[in-house]
Amino acid sequence: MPGKSLNVISICGSLRKASYNAIVQRALPSLAPEGLTIRPAPSFAEFPLYNADIQTSNGFPAPVNALADAIRAADGVIIVTPEYNFSIPGGLKNAIDWVSRLQNQPFAGKPIALQSASPGPLGGGRVQYDLRRAMVFLDAFVLNKPEIFIGGCASKLDEKTGEIKDEATRNFIKQQLAAFATFIARVAVKA
Amino acid sequence: MADKQLDVLVICGSLRKGSYNAALARSLPALAPPGIALRDAPSFAGLPVYNYDEHQASGIPPIATAWIDAIRSADGVIIVSPEYNWSIPGGLKNAIDWASRLKEVPFAGKPVALQSAATGLLGGSRMQYHLRQSLTSIEAIMFNKPEVIVTFAAKKFDEKTLELIDQPTRDMVKQQLAAFEKFVRRLGPR
Repeated sequence: MPGKSLNVISICGSLRKASYNAIVQRALPSLAPEGLTIRPAPSFAEFPLYNADIQTSNGFPAPVNALADAIRAADGVIIVTPEYNFSIPGGLKNAIDWVSRLQNQPFAGKPIALQSASPGPLGGGRVQYDLRRAMVFLDAFVLNKPEIFIGGCASKLDEKTGEIKDEATRNFIKQQLAAFATFIARVAVKA
Repeated sequence: MADKQLDVLVICGSLRKGSYNAALARSLPALAPPGIALRDAPSFAGLPVYNYDEHQASGIPPIATAWIDAIRSADGVIIVSPEYNWSIPGGLKNAIDWASRLKEVPFAGKPVALQSAATGLLGGSRMQYHLRQSLTSIEAIMFNKPEVIVTFAAKKFDEKTLELIDQPTRDMVKQQLAAFEKFVRRLGPR
């Protein structure tokens, strides 16, 4: 890939301080290939629940615009999320729903990679496929493989140090981030 | 990329002669932009049901090779398929399963668009989402929107000639093909 540096933001679907997915999110910069910078996206914690009446009477809340602007400015977005009740956490879906209502919809044509961690055996496999489906409507470019499903994450992530202690998991993530950099280059609009 | 005409392969998921999906596939050349040349994939009708033992003993059958080579050489692929029991027709899935067993999976990095027609109200959309999931595993690059989901197909094709006569549907297909051309050119060669 040409030496252009890529700026990617990461969105964590969990708000919990000790979230396993937040641990993964924080580890991403140290696992990224050279030339790929990963920063956390502005939080969606303060988004009100979407209501078209709010949008009509007061416009978009400032935190919505902040997230949307960050997505627009990024070369790609990595979503790291838990699975709630076999699907997308409501807070994350609400954030996507708000952002989707903006003109110049920020996810359109944007490269996206997905990751999920859960203590169960599937590691959040079902949330990823629901997210992929929503991303079809948003016209994003979602990376296919390698997929990152961190199953049985309680033994792989260290809640005390906030580190990924499982070497295989670290390597999977490294591979995905390298593949994501290549993918971003392929789907970029050529001059 | 230069404006070379794109070679796009059309795969129909139904084998039935009077198939609405085959009729939809036949309508495509007339609705395609000048930058796309469409050709029909060789039939997968004679493909044996995938069996790893036979694959090991006899290799890939010639009929599978022809189907796979057609995919490999195309700039993009459009799959037009009915929904069987809320999912991918077994015959089409079997053909994809054969293709997936090659060392260089022909769908990998290939732009793929989906279309479906059905006589019901959902137009085969459930099949499309299963197909998307399956093609994700073999690294196809899936086109998003506009989707072509032809609902109430019996009203949209001529009863006798099976020509696609519904103008809004024709417009929807035209829009998808135009957008797919841009998508394939955006991705460029693998």
